[in-house]
Amino acid sequence: MADSDKQGANGGAPDAQGDVNRRDFLNEITFAALGMAAMGSAVVTYRYLSPNVLFEPPTKFRAGSPDLYPINTVTYLPEQQVYIVRTPDGFYAVSAVCTHLGCITQWKPEADQIACPCHGSKFKPDGVKIEGPAPAPLPHFLITLTLDGELQVDKLETVKINQAFKV
Amino acid sequence: MATTFHDALSRLRKTRVWKSIFRRGPALTNRTRSLAVFGNLFLHFLPVKVREKSLRVRATYYLGSISFLLFVILSITGVLLMFYYHPAVPQAYRDMKDLRFVVSNGVFLRNLHRLAAQLMVLAVFMHLFHVFYRGGYKPPHEFNWVVGVILLLVTLFLSYTGYLLPWDQLAFWAITVGTNIISAMPVLGKYVRFQLLGGNLVGENALLRFYVLHCVVLPLAAVLFIAVHFWRVQKDGGLTAKGEDGRKED
Amino acid sequence: MDEKKTSHETGFSSHARKNPQRIVFITRKTSAKVKGEIPGQVMAYPHLLLREAIAFQVLVIAIVLLALVWDAPLEQLANPLVTPNPAKAPWYFLGLQELLHYFAPLVAGILIPTLVVIALVVIPYFNINVEGEPMWSSNAARHLRLLLAVSAALEIFLGLFRAWTVFVPTAVIDALAIYSYFVPPTASGFGRYVRNRAVSWWVMTWFICVAVVLTVVGTFFRGPGWTWVWPWRGHAG
Repeated sequence: MADSDKQGANGGAPDAQGDVNRRDFLNEITFAALGMAAMGSAVVTYRYLSPNVLFEPPTKFRAGSPDLYPINTVTYLPEQQVYIVRTPDGFYAVSAVCTHLGCITQWKPEADQIACPCHGSKFKPDGVKIEGPAPAPLPHFLITLTLDGELQVDKLETVKINQAFKV
Repeated sequence: MATTFHDALSRLRKTRVWKSIFRRGPALTNRTRSLAVFGNLFLHFLPVKVREKSLRVRATYYLGSISFLLFVILSITGVLLMFYYHPAVPQAYRDMKDLRFVVSNGVFLRNLHRLAAQLMVLAVFMHLFHVFYRGGYKPPHEFNWVVGVILLLVTLFLSYTGYLLPWDQLAFWAITVGTNIISAMPVLGKYVRFQLLGGNLVGENALLRFYVLHCVVLPLAAVLFIAVHFWRVQKDGGLTAKGEDGRKED
Repeated sequence: MDEKKTSHETGFSSHARKNPQRIVFITRKTSAKVKGEIPGQVMAYPHLLLREAIAFQVLVIAIVLLALVWDAPLEQLANPLVTPNPAKAPWYFLGLQELLHYFAPLVAGILIPTLVVIALVVIPYFNINVEGEPMWSSNAARHLRLLLAVSAALEIFLGLFRAWTVFVPTAVIDALAIYSYFVPPTASGFGRYVRNRAVSWWVMTWFICVAVVLTVVGTFFRGPGWTWVWPWRGHAG
């Protein structure tokens, strides 16, 4: 034990270039083992902390029959925060979440605008920005038709702004 | 490959950032080794030098260290478990099922926590008995012994409050029996029970109070008393120190 | 002439009256106590700290291995209307629960635990514990009479309350203590060891024995209704 108090003692000098002495070798093995254990613990902890079951509302939802939505109307679905916009070109599922900081916008039919109450951003019914601090237009979600003829919106898939869903 | 690791490490050690954190350099002389312990916030509870005899397994069986290390393990596993636990009735029980069936490694983590808890109670008792039989309570260590008894009570209370949290039959009735015993205390019994349960029955108030006690109040108390306990050992001259009258304890 | 010469050369004069000198006497009591280097010490870093790190890792490995095989229990949802039979406390309180079987809640639940805690706390403040002299080293006969009187009273009390799980270990320790009185001074091994034990040793050993027996009985030998069961005869627990 006493020799470890001497400054700079090592477990034998390396014999040649690139060879490692016993002390350094054992140190490296120890750190490698500890490193593996630490990484393993980190991975296990990360997986533990990632929930496997979420109690959040589903991101794919049905919006009912296309006939529910007259042409040239904007219908707000409050549980999903989506506007179903029907123009002569077809359907758009426009997100009601303002692209600025995430507030829920409001449809103003008298002004023909979607307005955000937080910082005053204004959008056209197709989501294109008119004014305000919002950096981007409101995104459009993918619409499909189910086998029994209902509209289905998938909030995880976005489509181009000018891409209408034709029934 | 070995030398590049070495070179990388020694280059890292020469950087300004490293030197600003580890200001005294590698602990290769007795002076820097002293400073590594003395100058460190976490380590200065320990003495700079220790008697070689106290390092032997048979001296203490490391029971005190084991108790403390188990406390550390319990803190870490406990915090992780807190991420999935709601102290509400009956959500708490659902969360236990969640941990068992749904959460990745939930069973393992809960087992770790419960096992460490049982072992800590055992270790603390064994530490107490061992210190007694070695005469470690003799002057000047009297007050440290008292602090140790306080820590024993904190440990038992921690284990008891944690016992209720799963909110299953085992938990509920163990705590019911325990709190009914408390109400047998003369004069104060009913009031103490009322405060502990936040009511007259073991219900949602009791669960929340036990949760706060278990996760905040008692761990804080434990940390404070552990700090005093370590500090006292250091100030009294370290482990296997001779008593005031020069009498040897071992 | 001489004085002048000496004071010139050395700066000191030896004429007591003309040039009185001050002399300091250093006695044992007034000397500054210097603590010498305590022998047998090593640096905390690395010797203590690396050992602690190893202890931590060994502990973690042991606990991880155990946690992989031993599952924590989870019974049904808490139901205030249905009490399971038996309703057992955690193991460290089972000794107390066994005591509750014999004595009223005030005694077994409040009085005895409080007395135990107080007894633990005051241990270092009693000279008999600090000195730790063997029980038989002085006034052996008188101590024996005291031991017999106290244990007889205790056993009668326990017998009256039919607290057999406390009675039996107390009797065993009493027997051991009485045996140690009769061990000759020339004995070796266990006899000699037990002969030289202090009063504090006997009291603590008695306490540990009783606590262990109570806990073991409470864990394995008590079934529904807190009735006595033999664990190997298969019961629902």
